[in-house]
Amino acid sequence: MTEPVRPDALRPDPALIRGRRQWPLPRQADPSAPLLEVENLAVRFKMPGGSVKAVDGVSFRLDDGEALGIAGESGCGKTTTALSLVQLLPANGRIRSGSVKLFGIDLAQKSERQLNRYRWREISLVFQGAMNALNPVQRVGHQVAEPIEVRLGQSREASRRRAAELLDLVGIPAARASAYPHELSGGMRQRAMIAMALACDPAIVIGDEPTTALDVMVQAQILQLLEQLRRDLGLSLMLITHDLSVIAETCDRVMIMYAGRVAEEGPVRRVFTAPRHPYTRRLLSAFPNIHADRRTLEVIPGQLPDLRNPPPGCRFAPRCAEAMAVCSTEVPAEVRFDDGVRVACHLFPSGAAATAETAAPLTVPAGAAVEGAR
Amino acid sequence: MTTVAPVTAASTLPRRRRADGLRRLLARTDGLIGVAILVIFGLLALAPTLFVGPLQDVVTATGLPLDPPSAAALLGTDELGRDMVNITVHGARISMSIGLMATIITILLGTVVGIVAGYVGGVTDALLMRFSDFLLVLPTVVLALILAPVLDAVVGEGAELFGIRSTLLIVVVVIGLTSWPSCARVIRSQVLSLKERMFVDRARVVGSGPGWIMRRHILPNVVNLVVAQAVLTFASAVFTETTLAFIGLGDPAAPSWGQVLNAAQTAGAPGLGAWWYVLPPAACVVLVVLAFTLVGNALDDVLNPRARGRR
Repeated sequence: MTEPVRPDALRPDPALIRGRRQWPLPRQADPSAPLLEVENLAVRFKMPGGSVKAVDGVSFRLDDGEALGIAGESGCGKTTTALSLVQLLPANGRIRSGSVKLFGIDLAQKSERQLNRYRWREISLVFQGAMNALNPVQRVGHQVAEPIEVRLGQSREASRRRAAELLDLVGIPAARASAYPHELSGGMRQRAMIAMALACDPAIVIGDEPTTALDVMVQAQILQLLEQLRRDLGLSLMLITHDLSVIAETCDRVMIMYAGRVAEEGPVRRVFTAPRHPYTRRLLSAFPNIHADRRTLEVIPGQLPDLRNPPPGCRFAPRCAEAMAVCSTEVPAEVRFDDGVRVACHLFPSGAAATAETAAPLTVPAGAAVEGAR
Repeated sequence: MTTVAPVTAASTLPRRRRADGLRRLLARTDGLIGVAILVIFGLLALAPTLFVGPLQDVVTATGLPLDPPSAAALLGTDELGRDMVNITVHGARISMSIGLMATIITILLGTVVGIVAGYVGGVTDALLMRFSDFLLVLPTVVLALILAPVLDAVVGEGAELFGIRSTLLIVVVVIGLTSWPSCARVIRSQVLSLKERMFVDRARVVGSGPGWIMRRHILPNVVNLVVAQAVLTFASAVFTETTLAFIGLGDPAAPSWGQVLNAAQTAGAPGLGAWWYVLPPAACVVLVVLAFTLVGNALDDVLNPRARGRR
C-alpha cells in the first residue's frame, strides 16, 4: 500500500466537479443545493408476517467529490438505503416517507419512468458479486457498452469504443474486452463492473460491497482504483461495506447504521478514534486489529431485533450494556457535536453537554484504535 | 499515491469459439457418429439425382416387379419394378426437407413463446401456456387427418401453396403446431430461472427494456437449449412425417420414406416376403432419428456454458 493520504487533500473543489459534468444539470435542479440530501427516509418491505421497517428515519448528506462509507452488520439496512435512492428495491419494498434530493430534486416523488433519467446517468452502482452481475455468455466489453447504448442512445460502434476506453481507464487492456466473464479473474471482473458504473459519467457511484470476496491484494487495488477515479473524475462515492478498514482507507465520512437507523455519523477519523455510540464502540472492538495482542474478539451478544416489531425505544437497547430505563421507551434524538459527528443515543442528551473531549475518555476498547483512522 | 497497476493477464485465449465448439462436438464419439450419418443423408437429400439418377416411375422403371436384391438392383425393386436404391435416396429429400421446415416453425414459435412467457410472466405467461397446453394435448395424427381434407377443400386437391404441395404443407404445419409447445415449455423453464439472475436485474437498472433484455441477455443464454431442441425436433419431425405418410397423408408423386412404407404395405410386401421393400426406408428413418438424437445430446453438453467454463 502507498502511504496514507489525508482524505481532505483528495477532495476536489465542488465548483470544479460540477463544471466537469458531461451532462447539463436537470432543468429543475437547484445549482446551490447539496449533491445528495436524504431526509427521514423510511423503507418498508411487505412480508407475510407484517411489514418490515428496514430503514426508518435515515438522514444523511453527500457532497460533491465526497466519499461516504455506510457500515453496520448484515441486515441493518445499508444496501436498502442505497438501493432506495434510485428505487431499485425488490418488488415488495416501498419508500414509505422521506425525501431523496439530488441537486434539490426529490427522487422519492418521481415515477418509474422519470427515475430513468437519473438512474445510471446520475447515480450508478457497482454491484455486490461481479460474477453474478455479468452475463456469462456475453463479452465483457459489450456489457460495459450496454448502458452507453441504451441510456445515452449512442450507436453500437460508438458505445463499444467508449467501453474500450473505460476498460482501459480501470486497468483492463482493450484486448480483454472481448473476453467472457469466466475468463477474467475476480479483480478484473470487479474492474469491469466499475467501468460499467462509470459508463454514463455519473455524479454518484454507489459501491455495494465492491471488495467482498476478493483477496486483500486485489481488494487494495480496487480501493485504490476507486480512490483514483474519485479524484480524477470528481465522483462522489457511497461505499457500503461491513469491513471497517475499507471505510477507514477510502472514505471521508462514515455512517454507522443499526437496525434501519443511523447510530452515528461523522468524519471517519473522529468516529473511529472516539466512537460515542455504544454500538459503534462494540462494532469497532469486534474488529480484528493486526497490531493488538492476540485475544478473542468481542462479539455483541444477542442479535438484530425483528424489524417487523422493532423495540419501541432505541433499537440497540436490548443488546446494549449501557442501556438505561429511558432507552427502551424513547427513541433517542440525533445530537450533533461540534466536531461534525452526530449520534443518536440517550447517553448524549445534547451536543453541548458532551463535546468531543468528554466523549473520548469513554472507555474505548483497545481494538477500536483502527489503523486506518489516521 | 501510485497509479493503479493494470493486472496483467494471459492474452492467449481461443479466438474462434464457434470452430472450437464444432471441434469439441466431433471429438465426442456420439457427436462424430451422428454428424457423419447426417452429412451422408444431407448430401443424398441435396442431390439425389447425382448419386442414383432421376426418380424412376412406372415408365422409367429399370427392373422386374418385386425383384429381390441382385447385382442390377442392390436393394431389389418395388411392385412397379423401380429400383429401391433410387426411391429410397429420393425419399430422403422429401423426408428431410419436411423435417427441416417443421423444425424451423417449431423452434421459431417455441423460442419466442418460451422466452416471452417466461420473462414477461403474469397474464401473458398464463395465456400463452394455456394455449400451448391446448395444442400439446392435440393428437398429431388426428389433427392432420382433420386438416388435410379441409385444406384440400379450400385450395383444391393437389394445389401448391408457396411452391409446396398442399398435402405436404399440411404435414409441415401439423408437425410444427403440435411440437412447438413442448419446446416452449423447456425454454420457458430455463428463462424463469435466468430472469432471477442478477445480471438481468443489472441490465434493467442500466436502462435496458424488456425487448433488449430478452434478445441480448436471455436468448444467448438459452441458445444451447434451442439448438438441442432443434435437433431433437428434427428427429421427431422426420418420424412424424413417416407416420403420417404411412397412413396415407403423403404426396404420391413425391415419395418420402413414409410414403414408400405405405406403398409397400398397400402392395402387401410384408406378406409376400419382400423384406427389401420395407427395410431400406425403415432403416433410413431409424438411422436419421438416431443420428439427430446423438448430435442433440452431444450438443447439449458441448454448448453448456458451465462445461465451457471448465475447459
